[in-house]
Formats: sequence, C-alpha cells, structure tokens
Amino acid sequence: MSFLSLQALTCDVGAFHLHDISFDVGEGEYFVILGHSGAGKTVILESIAGLHGIGGKLLFNGVDITNMAPEERSVGFVYQDFALFPNLSVRENIRFAGRYKFIEDADSLFNDLVDFLGLEKLLDRRIDNLSGGEKQRIAIARALFSRPKILLLDEPLSAIDPTFRNAIMKFLKEMHRRYHLTTLHVTHNFREASYLADRIAIVMDGKVQQVGCANEVLSHPSSLKVAEFLGFKNIFSSSLLGEDSAQLFSIDPNAILVSKENNPKCDYCFEGKLDECMGIVDHFKLFVTIGKEQFFVKVLKREHEGCAINRGETIYIGFNKKDVCYL
Amino acid sequence: MKRYWFTTFLVFLGAIMLLFLTLPLFKMMIGNDPATLLKTLKEADVSSSIWLTMKVSLFATLFALVTGLPLAYLIARHEFIGRSFLETLVDIPIMIPHTAAGIALLVAFGHGSLGSFFDLFGLKFIGTEAGIMIAMMFLSATFLINGAKEGFKKVDVKLEKVARTLGASPLKVFLAISLPNAKKDIVNGCLMMWGRGLGEFGAVVILVYHPMTAPVLIYDRFTSFGLSYSAPVAAVMIILSIMVFLTVRFVNNKLR
Repeated sequence: MSFLSLQALTCDVGAFHLHDISFDVGEGEYFVILGHSGAGKTVILESIAGLHGIGGKLLFNGVDITNMAPEERSVGFVYQDFALFPNLSVRENIRFAGRYKFIEDADSLFNDLVDFLGLEKLLDRRIDNLSGGEKQRIAIARALFSRPKILLLDEPLSAIDPTFRNAIMKFLKEMHRRYHLTTLHVTHNFREASYLADRIAIVMDGKVQQVGCANEVLSHPSSLKVAEFLGFKNIFSSSLLGEDSAQLFSIDPNAILVSKENNPKCDYCFEGKLDECMGIVDHFKLFVTIGKEQFFVKVLKREHEGCAINRGETIYIGFNKKDVCYL
Repeated sequence: MKRYWFTTFLVFLGAIMLLFLTLPLFKMMIGNDPATLLKTLKEADVSSSIWLTMKVSLFATLFALVTGLPLAYLIARHEFIGRSFLETLVDIPIMIPHTAAGIALLVAFGHGSLGSFFDLFGLKFIGTEAGIMIAMMFLSATFLINGAKEGFKKVDVKLEKVARTLGASPLKVFLAISLPNAKKDIVNGCLMMWGRGLGEFGAVVILVYHPMTAPVLIYDRFTSFGLSYSAPVAAVMIILSIMVFLTVRFVNNKLR
C-alpha cells in the first residue's frame, strides 16, 4: 500500500485544469514533480494540502482524505517565496503550529531544528530584511515543527542565489534523511530533480506525462514531448538507422564521434556536411547535416584539434547502439 | 535648474493645492484667540455637541467594523458572480447628495415597516443618537470597507494557506494572520470613516436636529447669530478633530 496515492485527481483553478492526476508516493520517498512553469505543479501540491476543492481520490495510508480540511491533514508546506508571517518574529513563525495543535516534544524539536538549521541568532528578529536563504530555512523549520507526515516543497530553490543551490540541495537531502520525511518537491529544473529524486513525475499542461524512478524517467523519456522538455537532442525517426519503424530515437550529442577523413568505427556512421562550428569555453558545438536532418554534436576541445573543417565541407559522424535512446 | 524643471513644476502646482486645503483651516485656527476658544469649549452646548459627535461617530465606526470587515474580506478574497455589483453598492453612498441620503434614511427607518420593527425593541431613529449613528454610518462606512478591502488584498493569500496547513482553522487564520497583517489599512479606514462621520451634516440634520451634533450646532449658530458666534465652535471642532486624527495616524504608523 502506498503512503500517498493520487487517483484520477482533477482540479479547476480559474481557467487552469488538472486532468486525472494519478501517482503513488512511498513512505520515506523523495518524490519530485517536474514540469514547466504553469504546468500545474503547485496546484497539485495545494490539492494534496487540501487548499483546493478536488475531484478524484486522495488516499493517505489507505484512508480517504479527499474532503479533509487542510488543518487536519498534517502536511508541511514551503512556498517558493516562503510565505513567512510578517506580523510574527522568527521564533513565533517557527512555533506557529504549536498554537493550534499538540506537538510532541515541542521544545526539543524546536531546539533541534534551530540547531540543525542554524537559526539561533535569528530567533528574535522580524522577518523583514532576512536573506532568501535565511527565510528558506525558517520556512522549512516552521513546516517541520508541525511534525508533518508529508513535506511539500514548492520550487524551494528558485528564490535562492544560484551559487548556493548545490549546498542547499545537499542540505535538503540531509534534512529528508534526518527527519525521516516523505517529501514532494516541485521544480522545473531537471538537474535539481536528478540530484534529489528517488522517483519523478513529469507534469505538462495539467497532465502527468510520465512517472517512475528518477534514472528511468530522466534517461528514457516516454514521449517526444517529455524528451524535448528534458533537453534531449538529436531526436529523429529510427528509419534513419535503417530500421523499418516509425519510432523515434535520440542520441546524446556527447556520444557522437566525428572524423574529418573517414567513417569512425561505430555501429552507425554517416557522411554529412558541417553547417556550423562554435567554440564554447571547453568544447565545440558542431551542427552537421545528414540528408534532411541536422545533428548537434559536442566535442571536447582537449579531445579534438579544433574546427579544421570549413563550413560546407564533408564530415563523418558516428555513434553506437548502446547510446541510442528509443522514445 | 533646467534638469529639475519638471519637479519644480510639480512642486509649484502641488503647493497651490496644499495651500487651498490648509489655508481655511489655518485661518480658522489663528483667527480666534485661545481665550475665546477655551471659553467656547467650556460652553455646555458646545462641549456636549462635540462629545456627542465624536462618540456617535465612534459607535458608527465600531458597528461598521464588526459588520463591514467580513464584507471587505469576502470581496477581497473570493471571486463570485456579482462581486463588481456588490463593490458598486458599497460605493454608492459616497456618490449621492447627503440630504438625499437623509431623506432615504428617513423613508426607510422613519415611520415605515422597518421603523416599526425597530420600534418593537425601543429603537427610534428620528431625533435620537441612533438616528445620528445611522446617518453617519450610511455616508461613511464605504471608507472603512474599502480601506479594509485594500488591506486584505495586500495580505498574500499564501500566508493564509500556509497557516491552514499548520493547523489553524479559517477563523483562526483570519484572526492570527489576515487581520494583523491588514491592520494598518483597517485602522486607516476606521480613521477615515470616523473623521468623515464627524463632518456629516446633510443626512444628520434631516433625521436629527436635536440633540445637536457639532456640524448642526455650527449651522444653527451661523444662521441664528452669525459668523462671529459660530466660528469659534468650528475652530474648536477642527482643532480637536485634527488632534485625534494625527494621534491615531501616528500610533498606526508605529504599528508593525
């Protein structure tokens, strides 16, 4: 039995609709909902939190919580802009849940959170003039102080200076383990997802496109749409490989070998014309036309002599079967 | 100087308006010597009418606070059919002539069925403080409701949503988050309503000539005895109103 189960969940918020959202989240799992801005990720989180009227079913440990009030659900919510209460001090923000429900070992939990999140010096301050990172830690502490069964994180890294993102991702993972959390994390950044997620759901236009283990989803997208969203390049019909199929395949630009003189020793080799060669910091970006298709190839500068070939001249490219990803 | 011509132009035009707004008040205050003002304030009918005006306007504000705040919150937080119409209804009283409003109140709460209904509870609106209160409330509650509405709109709805997930019921969220974070605008709205109520004349005079509110007293003295007899009362009323207004606004600005 799954910890949290969304079954054909629907929701209308203004002109936006969620369509039959279904996926399961296991206990202790770090589950990432990945999608473009406006795809419906936040609405899914808010629906789980009970902040919208929904259709379908929402089960928690097998119990139907579809119509349960938000205050009875035991979820912790951290918004993108943290939504700290301006009328309260940092301490009051963190302890807010304690006013309305019984928190087991409240004082020791509070001290542990303050210690773990390094909030000691901020406790008596107002929330104005705090940095993005400080606000984020306070919002997380506030959510965790309520001892949530599920922690919902809405784009928690988007308001953070890019320099600190890696450190915060590491911290989120550490926090997830330390407090034995089940976490749902919403993001549009697939690098963030690949680092944090045990499992991933890809959401587009209010629909779930693919759900599965992080590695599986990120390396084997189930459709062209998902592949394009995940940044897959070189998506062509497999007829190009000599196969009698309408299936699409994709080949990683880094897995393509190039040669100026003859075919590289690969499972698939093509002769084409070089359209463009762009030198970027440590690599070249090559655009090679093979018949009607244009391949994008990345070549490390240290592995290659440079773009000795002029635009319009013949170039050979090749790749192996093991690197081909069928969609 | 060329660089600042536009700002200078704005300051010049703004100064004309500021002068227009403050000059009559300033002239009224310095045009009466302090001894006369003090003597006027000690007159029983003056002090009682000023006290009555301030007290009843405060009651009207408190009543509108209890009933108008929920309305302001509903309008600010919920999308529903007829919301614009509802907002227009709230705005209408400030657009109609005050004497017309007085007549409308007289018709509604005078001797008709509504008047008879309230009469059952011993509540009469003609020639009573209750009459003054409804006249003030009818013409000034808009300021409170609109002020509170803008205040609630400024409170990020996500604050309320997070508070719900932390265990607070809708009422508790309203009391602990919505209200405190909108309080500046609410207090300003109250102040505007109270201040507007102090100056209400047209509607009050139709419903209640006696007991006299300060504006009715000033009018009565002006028509019966002339400017010299009414001006000190007006000056005292202006000074006291400004003092209360500035004090409340100062305290409000100090609120977090």
